Amino acid sequence: MTNKTRKSLTLQMLLFELRNITGNPYVHLFGIAMPILMSYIIIRGVTMEVSDPALLCTISTSVFLGIGVVIPMAIALMGYAATRAQEMEKGIPERLELFGIRSSITLCNRIAAELIFILVVFILYFVYGCLFLELEPPKASGAVIYTISMLALTIILLCIAHGIASILKKFGPTYCVVMILYFTLMLFSGMMGLSYDNMPSGIQFVAKLLPTTYLNKDIYTIWVGESCRFAPMIQSYLLWAVIAGILLVTTAEIKQKYHKLP
Amino acid sequence: MLLSIENLTVRYGPETALNIDQPIHIEEGERIGIIGSNGAGKTTLVKSILGLVPYQGTIQTALTRDQIAVHMQFNEYADSMPVKYIMEAILETKISKNKKLQELIGYFEFGECLKKRYTKLSGGQKQRFTIILVMMQEAPLTFYDEVTSGLDFETRQKLMEKLANWYRNKNSSLCIVSHYYDELENLVDKLLILDKGRVVAYGKTEELFRRYCGRAVIILDNTPENEILVKDHKRLAAPAHLIALSCDNESDEREVTSRLLAHNKNYKHSSRDIEILSINAKKALFMKSEGISYDK
Repeated sequence: MTNKTRKSLTLQMLLFELRNITGNPYVHLFGIAMPILMSYIIIRGVTMEVSDPALLCTISTSVFLGIGVVIPMAIALMGYAATRAQEMEKGIPERLELFGIRSSITLCNRIAAELIFILVVFILYFVYGCLFLELEPPKASGAVIYTISMLALTIILLCIAHGIASILKKFGPTYCVVMILYFTLMLFSGMMGLSYDNMPSGIQFVAKLLPTTYLNKDIYTIWVGESCRFAPMIQSYLLWAVIAGILLVTTAEIKQKYHKLP
Repeated sequence: MLLSIENLTVRYGPETALNIDQPIHIEEGERIGIIGSNGAGKTTLVKSILGLVPYQGTIQTALTRDQIAVHMQFNEYADSMPVKYIMEAILETKISKNKKLQELIGYFEFGECLKKRYTKLSGGQKQRFTIILVMMQEAPLTFYDEVTSGLDFETRQKLMEKLANWYRNKNSSLCIVSHYYDELENLVDKLLILDKGRVVAYGKTEELFRRYCGRAVIILDNTPENEILVKDHKRLAAPAHLIALSCDNESDEREVTSRLLAHNKNYKHSSRDIEILSINAKKALFMKSEGISYDK
Protein backbone atom coordinates (compact mmCIF):
# COMPACT_ATOMS: atom_id res chain seq x y z
CA MET A 1 0.00 0.00 0.00
CA THR A 2 2.93 2.34 0.61
CA ASN A 3 3.49 4.98 -2.06
CA LYS A 4 0.46 3.71 -3.97
CA THR A 5 -1.93 6.48 -4.89
CA ARG A 6 -5.44 5.58 -3.86
CA LYS A 7 -8.00 5.79 -6.63
CA SER A 8 -11.01 8.05 -6.11
CA LEU A 9 -13.39 5.23 -6.98
CA THR A 10 -12.79 1.55 -6.30
CA LEU A 11 -15.09 -1.44 -6.37
CA GLN A 12 -14.35 -2.30 -2.74
CA MET A 13 -15.07 1.22 -1.53
CA LEU A 14 -18.21 1.41 -3.66
CA LEU A 15 -19.50 -1.87 -2.21
CA PHE A 16 -18.51 -0.64 1.26
CA GLU A 17 -20.56 2.52 0.82
CA LEU A 18 -23.51 0.58 -0.64
CA ARG A 19 -23.47 -1.66 2.44
CA ASN A 20 -23.26 1.43 4.61
CA ILE A 21 -26.36 2.88 2.94
CA THR A 22 -28.43 -0.28 3.15
CA GLY A 23 -27.36 -0.76 6.76
CA ASN A 24 -28.97 2.55 7.73
CA PRO A 25 -32.56 2.01 8.96
CA TYR A 26 -33.52 5.67 8.29
CA VAL A 27 -33.07 5.06 4.60
CA HIS A 28 -35.52 2.17 4.50
CA LEU A 29 -38.06 3.93 6.63
CA PHE A 30 -38.00 7.47 5.24
CA GLY A 31 -36.58 6.81 1.79
CA ILE A 32 -38.54 3.75 0.68
CA ALA A 33 -41.52 2.97 2.93
CA MET A 34 -42.61 6.57 3.51
CA PRO A 35 -42.87 7.76 -0.13
CA ILE A 36 -44.73 4.59 -1.09
CA LEU A 37 -47.13 4.94 1.82
CA MET A 38 -47.52 8.70 1.36
CA SER A 39 -48.25 8.43 -2.35
CA TYR A 40 -50.76 5.62 -1.77
CA ILE A 41 -52.66 7.45 0.99
CA ILE A 42 -52.60 10.90 -0.65
CA ILE A 43 -53.52 9.66 -4.11
CA ARG A 44 -56.37 7.50 -2.73
CA GLY A 45 -57.58 10.46 -0.67
CA VAL A 46 -57.38 13.03 -3.45
CA THR A 47 -58.88 10.86 -6.18
CA MET A 48 -61.64 9.28 -4.09
CA GLU A 49 -64.36 11.35 -5.68
CA VAL A 50 -62.81 11.75 -9.12
CA SER A 51 -64.70 9.75 -11.71
CA ASP A 52 -63.00 11.01 -14.88
CA PRO A 53 -60.29 8.40 -15.66
CA ALA A 54 -58.12 10.95 -17.52
CA LEU A 55 -58.26 13.41 -14.64
CA LEU A 56 -57.59 10.61 -12.14
CA CYS A 57 -54.56 9.60 -14.15
CA THR A 58 -53.27 13.19 -14.29
CA ILE A 59 -53.73 13.76 -10.54
CA SER A 60 -52.17 10.39 -9.63
CA THR A 61 -49.15 10.98 -11.86
CA SER A 62 -48.64 14.54 -10.63
CA VAL A 63 -48.84 13.58 -6.93
CA PHE A 64 -46.76 10.43 -7.47
CA LEU A 65 -43.95 12.31 -9.23
CA GLY A 66 -43.99 15.10 -6.65
CA ILE A 67 -43.73 12.68 -3.74
CA GLY A 68 -40.77 11.06 -5.50
CA VAL A 69 -38.74 14.11 -4.38
CA VAL A 70 -38.96 12.74 -0.84
CA ILE A 71 -36.69 9.84 -1.88
CA PRO A 72 -33.45 11.82 -2.45
CA MET A 73 -34.35 14.13 0.43
CA ALA A 74 -34.71 11.24 2.86
CA ILE A 75 -31.85 9.10 1.57
CA ALA A 76 -29.23 11.65 0.58
CA LEU A 77 -30.00 14.47 2.99
CA MET A 78 -31.37 12.86 6.15
CA GLY A 79 -29.91 9.37 5.79
CA TYR A 80 -26.39 10.39 4.86
CA ALA A 81 -26.24 13.26 7.36
CA ALA A 82 -27.28 10.85 10.14
CA THR A 83 -24.69 8.26 9.13
CA ARG A 84 -21.93 10.80 8.64
CA ALA A 85 -22.63 12.52 11.97
CA GLN A 86 -22.57 9.21 13.82
CA GLU A 87 -19.31 8.35 12.09
CA MET A 88 -17.87 11.77 12.99
CA GLU A 89 -18.79 11.23 16.64
CA LYS A 90 -16.95 7.92 16.66
CA GLY A 91 -13.94 9.32 14.79
CA ILE A 92 -14.40 6.92 11.86
CA PRO A 93 -13.56 9.44 9.09
CA GLU A 94 -10.38 10.37 10.97
CA ARG A 95 -9.49 6.68 11.30
CA LEU A 96 -10.06 6.17 7.57
CA GLU A 97 -7.95 9.23 6.76
CA LEU A 98 -5.12 7.67 8.74
CA PHE A 99 -5.37 4.74 6.34
CA GLY A 100 -5.04 7.19 3.45
CA ILE A 101 -8.75 7.33 2.64
CA ARG A 102 -9.32 11.04 2.41
CA SER A 103 -12.70 12.62 2.94
CA SER A 104 -12.92 13.45 -0.77
CA ILE A 105 -12.51 9.74 -1.62
CA THR A 106 -15.23 8.78 0.84
CA LEU A 107 -17.55 11.42 -0.61
CA CYS A 108 -16.79 10.37 -4.17
CA ASN A 109 -17.59 6.71 -3.49
CA ARG A 110 -20.59 7.68 -1.40
CA ILE A 111 -22.01 9.78 -4.24
CA ALA A 112 -21.59 6.90 -6.70
CA ALA A 113 -23.14 4.43 -4.23
CA GLU A 114 -26.05 6.77 -3.44
CA LEU A 115 -26.77 7.30 -7.14
CA ILE A 116 -26.89 3.54 -7.70
CA PHE A 117 -29.06 3.05 -4.62
CA ILE A 118 -31.42 5.92 -5.51
CA LEU A 119 -31.83 4.53 -9.02
CA VAL A 120 -32.78 1.14 -7.57
CA VAL A 121 -35.22 2.77 -5.14
CA PHE A 122 -36.82 4.78 -7.97
CA ILE A 123 -37.19 1.59 -10.02
CA LEU A 124 -38.95 -0.02 -7.05
CA TYR A 125 -41.06 3.12 -6.59
CA PHE A 126 -42.15 3.09 -10.22
CA VAL A 127 -42.80 -0.66 -10.19
CA TYR A 128 -45.11 -0.06 -7.23
CA GLY A 129 -46.68 2.93 -9.02
CA CYS A 130 -47.35 0.98 -12.20
CA LEU A 131 -48.81 -1.97 -10.27
CA PHE A 132 -51.06 -0.11 -7.84
CA LEU A 133 -51.74 3.35 -9.30
CA GLU A 134 -53.03 4.76 -12.55
CA LEU A 135 -49.99 6.58 -13.94
CA GLU A 136 -49.55 8.41 -17.19
CA PRO A 137 -46.65 7.12 -19.30
CA PRO A 138 -43.87 9.70 -19.80
CA LYS A 139 -42.43 11.14 -22.96
CA ALA A 140 -38.83 9.93 -23.38
CA SER A 141 -37.54 13.47 -22.77
CA GLY A 142 -39.70 13.74 -19.65
CA ALA A 143 -38.35 10.50 -18.18
CA VAL A 144 -34.76 11.55 -18.93
CA ILE A 145 -35.19 15.03 -17.39
CA TYR A 146 -36.95 13.54 -14.32
CA THR A 147 -34.10 11.08 -13.79
CA ILE A 148 -31.38 13.70 -14.27
CA SER A 149 -33.18 16.15 -11.97
CA MET A 150 -33.48 13.57 -9.20
CA LEU A 151 -29.87 12.44 -9.53
CA ALA A 152 -28.58 16.02 -9.59
CA LEU A 153 -30.68 16.79 -6.52
CA THR A 154 -29.23 13.70 -4.84
CA ILE A 155 -25.65 14.89 -5.44
CA ILE A 156 -26.38 18.40 -4.16
CA LEU A 157 -28.20 17.15 -1.06
CA LEU A 158 -25.41 14.67 -0.34
CA CYS A 159 -22.79 17.40 -0.46
CA ILE A 160 -24.93 19.58 1.81
CA ALA A 161 -25.41 16.68 4.26
CA HIS A 162 -21.68 15.95 4.16
CA GLY A 163 -20.86 19.59 4.86
CA ILE A 164 -23.38 20.00 7.70
CA ALA A 165 -22.34 16.77 9.45
CA SER A 166 -18.63 17.49 9.00
CA ILE A 167 -18.97 20.97 10.46
CA LEU A 168 -21.29 20.09 13.36
CA LYS A 169 -19.56 16.74 14.09
CA LYS A 170 -22.31 15.54 16.45
CA PHE A 171 -25.38 13.46 15.66
CA GLY A 172 -27.86 15.54 17.71
CA PRO A 173 -27.19 18.99 16.22
CA THR A 174 -26.74 17.53 12.72
CA TYR A 175 -30.03 15.64 12.85
CA CYS A 176 -31.79 18.74 14.18
CA VAL A 177 -30.46 21.00 11.39
CA VAL A 178 -31.16 18.42 8.70
CA MET A 179 -34.72 17.79 9.93
CA ILE A 180 -35.41 21.53 9.95
CA LEU A 181 -34.02 21.75 6.41
CA TYR A 182 -36.06 18.71 5.32
CA PHE A 183 -39.38 20.05 6.59
CA THR A 184 -38.58 23.59 5.38
CA LEU A 185 -37.94 22.23 1.91
CA MET A 186 -41.18 20.24 2.01
CA LEU A 187 -43.20 23.18 3.33
CA PHE A 188 -41.84 25.81 0.95
CA SER A 189 -41.94 23.46 -2.03
CA GLY A 190 -45.69 22.99 -1.63
CA MET A 191 -45.54 19.41 -0.42
CA MET A 192 -47.33 19.98 2.87
CA GLY A 193 -50.75 21.12 1.76
CA LEU A 194 -50.01 24.71 0.74
CA SER A 195 -49.36 24.70 -3.02
CA TYR A 196 -47.01 27.21 -4.68
CA ASP A 197 -49.89 29.10 -6.34
CA ASN A 198 -51.62 29.67 -2.98
CA MET A 199 -48.52 30.92 -1.19
CA PRO A 200 -48.14 34.58 -0.18
CA SER A 201 -45.72 36.41 -2.49
CA GLY A 202 -42.96 36.53 0.19
CA ILE A 203 -43.04 32.78 0.61
CA GLN A 204 -43.25 32.33 -3.15
CA PHE A 205 -39.98 34.25 -3.41
CA VAL A 206 -38.30 31.72 -1.09
CA ALA A 207 -40.00 28.79 -2.84
CA LYS A 208 -38.58 29.95 -6.19
CA LEU A 209 -35.08 29.41 -4.81
CA LEU A 210 -35.68 25.73 -4.10
CA PRO A 211 -35.18 23.03 -6.76
CA THR A 212 -37.77 20.91 -4.93
CA THR A 213 -40.46 23.49 -5.73
CA TYR A 214 -40.03 22.88 -9.46
CA LEU A 215 -39.78 19.14 -8.98
CA ASN A 216 -43.14 19.33 -7.24
CA LYS A 217 -45.07 21.83 -9.34
CA ASP A 218 -43.60 21.51 -12.85
CA ILE A 219 -42.53 17.92 -13.02
CA TYR A 220 -45.84 16.64 -14.42
CA THR A 221 -45.58 19.14 -17.30
CA ILE A 222 -42.05 17.95 -18.00
CA TRP A 223 -43.08 14.28 -17.62
CA VAL A 224 -45.71 14.46 -20.30
CA GLY A 225 -43.46 16.51 -22.60
CA GLU A 226 -45.40 19.80 -22.48
CA SER A 227 -43.53 23.08 -22.81
CA CYS A 228 -41.98 24.36 -19.60
CA ARG A 229 -39.64 27.22 -18.58
CA PHE A 230 -36.49 25.48 -17.39
CA ALA A 231 -34.47 28.60 -16.56
CA PRO A 232 -35.80 29.17 -12.99
CA MET A 233 -35.38 25.48 -12.18
CA ILE A 234 -31.80 25.41 -13.47
CA GLN A 235 -31.02 28.61 -11.56
CA SER A 236 -32.32 27.09 -8.33
CA TYR A 237 -30.15 24.03 -8.93
CA LEU A 238 -27.11 26.24 -9.50
CA LEU A 239 -27.84 28.20 -6.33
CA TRP A 240 -28.02 25.01 -4.25
CA ALA A 241 -24.93 23.63 -5.94
CA VAL A 242 -23.07 26.78 -4.88
CA ILE A 243 -24.36 26.39 -1.28
CA ALA A 244 -23.19 22.76 -1.30
CA GLY A 245 -19.80 23.85 -2.69
CA ILE A 246 -19.38 26.50 0.01
CA LEU A 247 -20.16 23.94 2.71
CA LEU A 248 -17.61 21.50 1.28
CA VAL A 249 -14.95 24.20 1.00
CA THR A 250 -15.66 25.27 4.60
CA THR A 251 -15.23 21.66 5.74
CA ALA A 252 -11.94 21.37 3.87
CA GLU A 253 -10.75 24.72 5.28
CA ILE A 254 -11.44 23.63 8.86
CA LYS A 255 -9.32 20.53 8.30
CA GLN A 256 -6.52 22.35 6.49
CA LYS A 257 -6.03 24.61 9.51
CA TYR A 258 -3.66 22.18 11.20
CA HIS A 259 -3.06 19.30 8.82
CA LYS A 260 0.56 20.10 8.02
CA LEU A 261 1.78 16.79 6.68
CA PRO A 262 1.48 16.43 2.90
CA MET B 1 16.51 10.47 9.14
CA LEU B 2 12.81 9.71 9.00
CA LEU B 3 11.45 12.43 11.20
CA SER B 4 12.68 15.27 13.36
CA ILE B 5 10.90 17.35 15.96
CA GLU B 6 12.07 20.70 17.23
CA ASN B 7 10.53 23.14 19.70
CA LEU B 8 7.14 21.50 19.56
CA THR B 9 4.34 23.03 21.59
CA VAL B 10 0.73 21.88 21.67
CA ARG B 11 -1.86 23.84 23.60
CA TYR B 12 -5.42 22.87 24.43
CA GLY B 13 -6.94 26.20 25.35
CA PRO B 14 -4.83 27.80 28.09
CA GLU B 15 -3.21 24.47 29.00
CA THR B 16 0.10 23.41 27.46
CA ALA B 17 -0.24 19.72 26.73
CA LEU B 18 3.18 19.27 25.16
CA ASN B 19 6.36 21.31 25.23
CA ILE B 20 9.31 19.58 23.62
CA ASP B 21 12.34 21.84 23.75
CA GLN B 22 15.06 19.36 22.81
CA PRO B 23 15.41 17.93 19.28
CA ILE B 24 13.95 14.48 18.73
CA HIS B 25 15.18 12.53 15.71
CA ILE B 26 13.73 9.24 14.53
CA GLU B 27 16.03 7.23 12.30
CA GLU B 28 15.19 4.43 9.90
CA GLY B 29 14.70 1.06 11.60
CA GLU B 30 14.57 2.43 15.15
CA ARG B 31 12.17 0.99 17.72
CA ILE B 32 11.16 3.71 20.15
CA GLY B 33 9.07 3.31 23.27
CA ILE B 34 7.15 6.44 24.25
CA ILE B 35 6.32 6.26 27.93
CA GLY B 36 4.90 8.44 30.66
CA SER B 37 1.94 8.56 33.01
CA ASN B 38 -1.54 9.84 32.12
CA GLY B 39 -1.41 13.38 30.76
CA ALA B 40 2.29 13.11 29.92
CA GLY B 41 1.55 14.07 26.31
CA LYS B 42 2.21 10.73 24.60
CA THR B 43 -0.94 10.63 22.47
CA THR B 44 -0.71 14.38 21.87
CA LEU B 45 2.77 13.85 20.44
CA VAL B 46 1.51 11.14 18.07
CA LYS B 47 -1.44 13.30 17.05
CA SER B 48 0.74 16.31 16.37
CA ILE B 49 3.07 14.22 14.18
CA LEU B 50 0.03 13.04 12.24
CA GLY B 51 -1.31 16.58 11.98
CA LEU B 52 -4.43 15.79 13.96
CA VAL B 53 -3.94 18.61 16.46
CA PRO B 54 -2.76 22.17 15.90
CA TYR B 55 0.81 22.77 17.07
CA GLN B 56 3.64 25.25 17.03
CA GLY B 57 7.18 24.27 16.17
CA THR B 58 8.76 22.09 13.52
CA ILE B 59 8.03 18.52 12.55
CA GLN B 60 10.16 17.65 9.55
CA THR B 61 9.80 14.52 7.50
CA ALA B 62 10.07 13.40 3.92
CA LEU B 63 7.23 10.97 4.58
CA THR B 64 3.69 11.71 3.49
CA ARG B 65 0.81 10.99 5.84
CA ASP B 66 0.06 7.81 3.87
CA GLN B 67 3.55 6.57 4.70
CA ILE B 68 2.98 6.83 8.41
CA ALA B 69 0.80 4.03 9.77
CA VAL B 70 -0.88 4.37 13.11
CA HIS B 71 -2.83 2.27 15.54
CA MET B 72 -4.64 4.80 17.68
CA GLN B 73 -5.72 4.11 21.24
CA PHE B 74 -9.36 4.09 20.14
CA ASN B 75 -10.26 2.88 16.68
CA GLU B 76 -13.83 2.76 15.40
CA TYR B 77 -15.30 1.49 12.16
CA ALA B 78 -18.71 1.29 10.50
CA ASP B 79 -21.00 -1.20 12.16
CA SER B 80 -23.36 -1.74 9.24
CA MET B 81 -21.44 -4.70 7.81
CA PRO B 82 -19.07 -7.54 8.76
CA VAL B 83 -15.47 -6.42 9.30
CA LYS B 84 -14.35 -8.47 6.29
CA TYR B 85 -15.83 -5.86 3.95
CA ILE B 86 -14.32 -2.98 5.91
CA MET B 87 -10.94 -4.68 5.65
CA GLU B 88 -11.29 -5.18 1.90
CA ALA B 89 -12.43 -1.58 1.34
CA ILE B 90 -9.63 -0.04 3.38
CA LEU B 91 -6.96 -2.23 1.83
CA GLU B 92 -8.48 -2.12 -1.68
CA THR B 93 -8.16 -5.85 -2.05
CA LYS B 94 -10.01 -9.17 -1.81
CA ILE B 95 -8.98 -11.35 1.10
CA SER B 96 -9.30 -14.45 -1.10
CA LYS B 97 -6.79 -13.00 -3.57
CA ASN B 98 -4.27 -11.49 -1.17
CA LYS B 99 -1.73 -13.99 0.20
CA LYS B 100 -0.08 -11.51 2.54
CA LEU B 101 -3.39 -10.50 4.07
CA GLN B 102 -4.36 -14.15 4.49
CA GLU B 103 -1.03 -14.74 6.23
CA LEU B 104 -1.63 -11.85 8.65
CA ILE B 105 -5.19 -12.97 9.34
CA GLY B 106 -3.87 -16.44 10.10
CA TYR B 107 -0.96 -15.10 12.17
CA PHE B 108 -3.34 -13.08 14.36
CA GLU B 109 -5.95 -15.88 14.43
CA PHE B 110 -8.58 -13.51 13.07
CA GLY B 111 -10.22 -15.76 10.47
CA GLU B 112 -13.26 -16.60 12.59
CA CYS B 113 -13.91 -12.93 13.31
CA LEU B 114 -14.20 -11.81 9.69
CA LYS B 115 -17.95 -12.36 9.55
CA LYS B 116 -18.62 -10.43 12.75
CA ARG B 117 -19.54 -6.77 12.96
CA TYR B 118 -17.03 -4.48 14.65
CA THR B 119 -19.06 -3.90 17.82
CA LYS B 120 -19.44 -7.66 18.25
CA LEU B 121 -15.65 -8.16 18.46
CA SER B 122 -13.95 -8.48 21.84
CA GLY B 123 -11.36 -5.91 22.94
CA GLY B 124 -8.45 -8.08 21.82
CA GLN B 125 -10.12 -8.88 18.48
CA LYS B 126 -10.71 -5.17 17.84
CA GLN B 127 -7.04 -4.43 18.48
CA ARG B 128 -5.95 -7.28 16.22
CA PHE B 129 -8.26 -6.03 13.45
CA THR B 130 -6.60 -2.61 13.40
CA ILE B 131 -3.14 -4.14 13.78
CA ILE B 132 -3.70 -6.23 10.64
CA LEU B 133 -4.80 -3.13 8.72
CA VAL B 134 -1.84 -1.14 10.02
CA MET B 135 0.66 -3.88 9.21
CA MET B 136 -0.73 -4.21 5.70
CA GLN B 137 0.26 -0.59 5.09
CA GLU B 138 3.94 -1.60 5.32
CA ALA B 139 4.75 1.96 6.26
CA PRO B 140 8.32 3.10 6.90
CA LEU B 141 7.12 4.55 10.22
CA THR B 142 4.40 3.01 12.39
CA PHE B 143 2.89 4.22 15.65
CA TYR B 144 1.17 1.93 18.13
CA ASP B 145 -0.65 4.01 20.71
CA GLU B 146 -1.62 2.00 23.80
CA VAL B 147 -2.27 -1.04 21.68
CA THR B 148 -2.89 -3.26 24.71
CA SER B 149 -4.84 -0.88 26.92
CA GLY B 150 -7.98 -2.45 28.34
CA LEU B 151 -6.82 -6.00 27.63
CA ASP B 152 -6.29 -8.68 30.25
CA PHE B 153 -2.75 -9.77 31.13
CA GLU B 154 -2.74 -12.94 29.04
CA THR B 155 -4.16 -11.26 25.90
CA ARG B 156 -1.72 -8.39 26.35
CA GLN B 157 1.28 -10.67 26.54
CA LYS B 158 0.17 -12.77 23.60
CA LEU B 159 -0.46 -9.71 21.44
CA MET B 160 2.87 -8.08 22.24
CA GLU B 161 4.68 -11.35 21.60
CA LYS B 162 3.06 -11.55 18.19
CA LEU B 163 3.97 -7.92 17.43
CA ALA B 164 7.57 -8.49 18.51
CA ASN B 165 7.88 -11.65 16.41
CA TRP B 166 6.34 -10.00 13.36
CA TYR B 167 8.69 -7.04 13.39
CA ARG B 168 11.80 -9.07 14.17
CA ASN B 169 14.19 -8.84 11.18
CA LYS B 170 12.09 -6.10 9.57
CA ASN B 171 13.44 -2.63 8.95
CA SER B 172 10.33 -0.58 9.74
CA SER B 173 10.63 2.13 12.37
CA LEU B 174 8.24 1.71 15.27
CA CYS B 175 7.04 4.12 17.93
CA ILE B 176 5.17 2.29 20.66
CA VAL B 177 3.24 4.25 23.25
CA SER B 178 2.54 2.22 26.37
CA HIS B 179 1.70 2.34 30.04
CA TYR B 180 2.99 -1.17 30.53
CA TYR B 181 6.75 -0.83 30.71
CA ASP B 182 7.40 -4.55 30.87
CA GLU B 183 5.94 -5.16 27.42
CA LEU B 184 8.34 -2.66 25.88
CA GLU B 185 11.48 -4.27 27.25
CA ASN B 186 11.81 -6.81 24.44
CA LEU B 187 10.50 -4.57 21.70
CA VAL B 188 12.24 -1.21 21.80
CA ASP B 189 15.83 -0.03 21.65
CA LYS B 190 15.19 3.63 22.36
CA LEU B 191 13.03 5.43 24.89
CA LEU B 192 11.29 8.77 24.95
CA ILE B 193 10.18 9.47 28.50
CA LEU B 194 7.58 12.22 28.86
CA ASP B 195 6.18 13.82 31.96
CA LYS B 196 3.56 16.58 32.10
CA GLY B 197 4.21 17.41 28.46
CA ARG B 198 8.00 17.69 28.85
CA VAL B 199 10.79 15.40 27.72
CA VAL B 200 12.40 13.71 30.71
CA ALA B 201 14.88 11.72 28.66
CA TYR B 202 15.40 10.50 25.11
CA GLY B 203 17.99 8.03 23.96
CA LYS B 204 19.03 4.41 23.64
CA THR B 205 17.56 2.30 26.42
CA GLU B 206 20.95 0.89 27.42
CA GLU B 207 22.57 4.32 27.60
CA LEU B 208 19.69 5.77 29.60
CA PHE B 209 19.75 2.79 31.92
CA ARG B 210 23.47 3.21 32.55
CA ARG B 211 23.01 6.94 33.09
CA TYR B 212 20.15 6.71 35.56
CA CYS B 213 20.42 3.20 37.06
CA GLY B 214 23.93 1.89 36.52
CA ARG B 215 25.04 -1.45 35.08
CA ALA B 216 22.15 -3.40 36.57
CA VAL B 217 19.46 -3.16 39.20
CA ILE B 218 18.44 -5.64 41.86
CA ILE B 219 14.79 -5.30 42.78
CA LEU B 220 13.23 -6.80 45.88
CA ASP B 221 10.15 -6.33 48.04
CA ASN B 222 10.12 -3.36 50.35
CA THR B 223 9.92 -5.10 53.74
CA PRO B 224 11.57 -4.01 57.03
CA GLU B 225 13.74 -7.15 56.93
CA ASN B 226 14.96 -6.39 53.40
CA GLU B 227 15.51 -2.75 54.34
CA ILE B 228 17.95 -3.80 57.04
CA LEU B 229 19.61 -6.33 54.79
CA VAL B 230 20.49 -3.84 52.02
CA LYS B 231 20.71 -0.63 54.04
CA ASP B 232 24.35 0.02 53.17
CA HIS B 233 23.84 -0.46 49.44
CA LYS B 234 23.25 2.24 46.81
CA ARG B 235 19.49 2.66 46.36
CA LEU B 236 17.51 3.98 43.45
CA ALA B 237 14.08 5.56 43.46
CA ALA B 238 11.42 2.85 43.09
CA PRO B 239 7.68 2.29 43.55
CA ALA B 240 6.70 2.28 47.25
CA HIS B 241 6.37 -1.51 47.45
CA LEU B 242 9.84 -2.16 46.03
CA ILE B 243 13.48 -1.57 46.83
CA ALA B 244 15.77 -1.01 43.84
CA LEU B 245 19.51 -1.28 44.25
CA SER B 246 21.98 0.10 41.76
CA CYS B 247 24.98 -2.01 40.76
CA ASP B 248 27.80 -0.29 38.89
CA ASN B 249 29.88 -3.40 38.31
CA GLU B 250 29.87 -7.16 38.50
CA SER B 251 31.36 -7.36 42.01
CA ASP B 252 28.58 -5.03 43.25
CA GLU B 253 26.01 -7.38 41.80
CA ARG B 254 27.71 -10.45 43.23
CA GLU B 255 27.91 -8.93 46.67
CA VAL B 256 24.21 -8.03 46.82
CA THR B 257 22.90 -11.20 45.27
CA SER B 258 25.01 -13.46 47.47
CA ARG B 259 23.75 -11.62 50.54
CA LEU B 260 20.15 -12.02 49.38
CA LEU B 261 20.67 -15.66 48.52
CA ALA B 262 22.23 -16.31 51.89
CA HIS B 263 19.06 -14.99 53.51
CA ASN B 264 16.85 -16.84 51.07
CA LYS B 265 15.32 -13.64 49.68
CA ASN B 266 13.52 -13.30 46.35
CA TYR B 267 14.87 -10.67 44.00
CA LYS B 268 14.83 -9.65 40.37
CA HIS B 269 17.94 -8.75 38.43
CA SER B 270 17.59 -6.50 35.40
CA SER B 271 19.69 -4.41 33.09
CA ARG B 272 16.69 -3.03 31.19
CA ASP B 273 13.97 -2.35 33.75
CA ILE B 274 12.12 0.53 32.14
CA GLU B 275 9.96 1.33 35.15
CA ILE B 276 12.93 1.92 37.47
CA LEU B 277 14.74 3.76 34.68
CA SER B 278 11.75 6.04 34.10
CA ILE B 279 11.29 6.84 37.81
CA ASN B 280 14.95 7.73 38.19
CA ALA B 281 15.07 9.78 35.01
CA LYS B 282 12.14 11.82 36.35
CA LYS B 283 13.91 12.16 39.69
CA ALA B 284 17.05 13.40 37.91
CA LEU B 285 15.04 15.98 35.98
CA PHE B 286 13.39 17.17 39.17
CA MET B 287 16.73 17.45 40.94
CA LYS B 288 18.18 19.36 37.99
CA SER B 289 15.31 21.83 38.13
CA GLU B 290 16.07 22.28 41.85
CA GLY B 291 19.74 22.85 41.08
CA ILE B 292 20.88 19.57 42.67
CA SER B 293 23.13 17.19 40.75
CA TYR B 294 21.79 13.66 40.28
CA ASP B 295 23.93 10.89 41.60
CA LYS B 296 22.51 7.45 41.27
